[in-house]
Amino acid sequence: MDDYLIGVLTNIGLFGFMALSAYLLLLAGEMSFGQQAFFGVGAYSGGMLTAMLGWPLPAAALAAMAMGALAALIVALPTLRLRGLYFAMATLAAAEMARIGFELLHWQVVVAGEPTGPDGTQGFRGIRWVFENGVEPGTYLAIIWTLLAMVVGLFIAMERSRLGAALRGVGEDPELSASLGLNVIRVKLAVAAAAGALAALGGVLYAHHNTYIEPRNFDIMLGVHSLAYALIGGLGTVFGPLLGVLVDIGLLEGSRVFQGYRMIVFGGLVALLLMVRPRGLLDEGTVQWIKRRFS
Amino acid sequence: MLADLLQNTLDGLAAGASYALIAVGFTLIFGVLRRANLSYGPAIMLGSYAAAFAFQNYGLGLIALAGICVFASVLAGAYVERLCFAPHRKGSAIAAMVASFALWMQLEEVAMLVMPKHLYAFPPLNQGGPLDFAGFTVRVEALVMLGAATAVCALVWWILYRTRFGLATRAVIESSRAAELSGISVPRVYIGVFALASAIGGLAGFLISASFEQVTPMLGMWSTLKGLLAMMLGGLGSLPGAVVGALALGLLEAHSQWYLGPQLRDLIAFLLLFVLLAIGPRWMTPSNG
Repeated sequence: MDDYLIGVLTNIGLFGFMALSAYLLLLAGEMSFGQQAFFGVGAYSGGMLTAMLGWPLPAAALAAMAMGALAALIVALPTLRLRGLYFAMATLAAAEMARIGFELLHWQVVVAGEPTGPDGTQGFRGIRWVFENGVEPGTYLAIIWTLLAMVVGLFIAMERSRLGAALRGVGEDPELSASLGLNVIRVKLAVAAAAGALAALGGVLYAHHNTYIEPRNFDIMLGVHSLAYALIGGLGTVFGPLLGVLVDIGLLEGSRVFQGYRMIVFGGLVALLLMVRPRGLLDEGTVQWIKRRFS
Repeated sequence: MLADLLQNTLDGLAAGASYALIAVGFTLIFGVLRRANLSYGPAIMLGSYAAAFAFQNYGLGLIALAGICVFASVLAGAYVERLCFAPHRKGSAIAAMVASFALWMQLEEVAMLVMPKHLYAFPPLNQGGPLDFAGFTVRVEALVMLGAATAVCALVWWILYRTRFGLATRAVIESSRAAELSGISVPRVYIGVFALASAIGGLAGFLISASFEQVTPMLGMWSTLKGLLAMMLGGLGSLPGAVVGALALGLLEAHSQWYLGPQLRDLIAFLLLFVLLAIGPRWMTPSNG
């Protein structure tokens, strides 16, 4: 495979984690403008662990996911009863605080004669674990897609279980779910933590792919893009959000035809698509229809 | 010490007046449609870009530039309304909001395609220096901004409470279904409200660009964020609340910038919003929000 294709496929995988994170919350009926914060928490904490403290990437990735889940719980607890725009704005406020926190974060140690670590708005360079350990871009791509496939597998298993039904129930009608004996608060907290960990996993992989991160990478654009991916791809199946990423990054950014016009094409496409299919390409109805056709 | 406090308060009120202009437009749209228009800021940005373009190429005067700002913002607002809000009038609020985000991307790229530099000059409102009142400096722009915000609030009040269109709008705010059943054309109210809000946004964009003496693509996100912050702080969907929220935001920012610097200034504004949303005082969360 040529390098360009590998780069595009890697990006699709990386933003796939964010799209799935937004999708998980949408299933539970919550629209967050703030998932970029946990992507950032994963990127920063994972990068600091490998580049500054010399941890191996797998251990750093697990720790970063734990950090992402923890950060998501800290945001979720005070915002549990908020809905709609209130929830969206509270998560946005939290994410902007996290971004400014990254801007204020200055902590560098000398590694191999170079100061390494986050340097405020100057960013954090030298996250080189992947290169130093001789992981080829193709291998790294395979690792990303294997992890993504595992996440997709977990989603499929979850949607078939009682947990999946509970999740969609809470999303559709929290009061009804509560009256059926579901612990809505526990479901919501579990969803928040899982979505946070998922975003953080994307973040740590992103940091090690780019080797350089800066606070600007984690602004509202990233969060709302992820929401848009989930929504245009469709809320009926876990493949919907991935389709959304594929359309934007694969079709528009990947093919060089739309250079300079990508956002105009993508923006118009999304707006028109949502007019005819407000719950995305692969919405619940379509997924049911496909299942009936092939079973 | 006391002088600093007073000077910061003056500066804060001036910034608050510009936020108030943005927040009033934002709140009009939210109050009537019950949907957040993320493209509101980018439409304002496009208006200012059109004016900056006219200024660069034809050297037009201030009045003409203000007209271009308002006209282009209304045009962009109408485009957003047609594509994002008219189709989802009875449907999903999330779909409408995501669609408005999609058009945000579009408007930003259009502006950057036509004018690719990072920054364009915008003519200042007054050529002379700031006014001096007993040791306090007051920029002429600040006075104009406060005056414009007051005039716009009065105009919106007059439209809402003294015209047939205003009566129809208030009926839609109360209950769009009941309004529809009593023969009010809800789509027409939507268009009217969007045009009014976009015109206010265009004026805000003109005054803000003239007082910064520059336009950048960041004006779009800046306006959307400040407008949302002020609207939420003042209680969602209430016009007087939006003005109070905007002035409070301006004052908070001016004082925290002076004592703590620009990064903590933004942090504190978001922290305040987060804490208030978490506590949920009654004025922040009206039952019909």
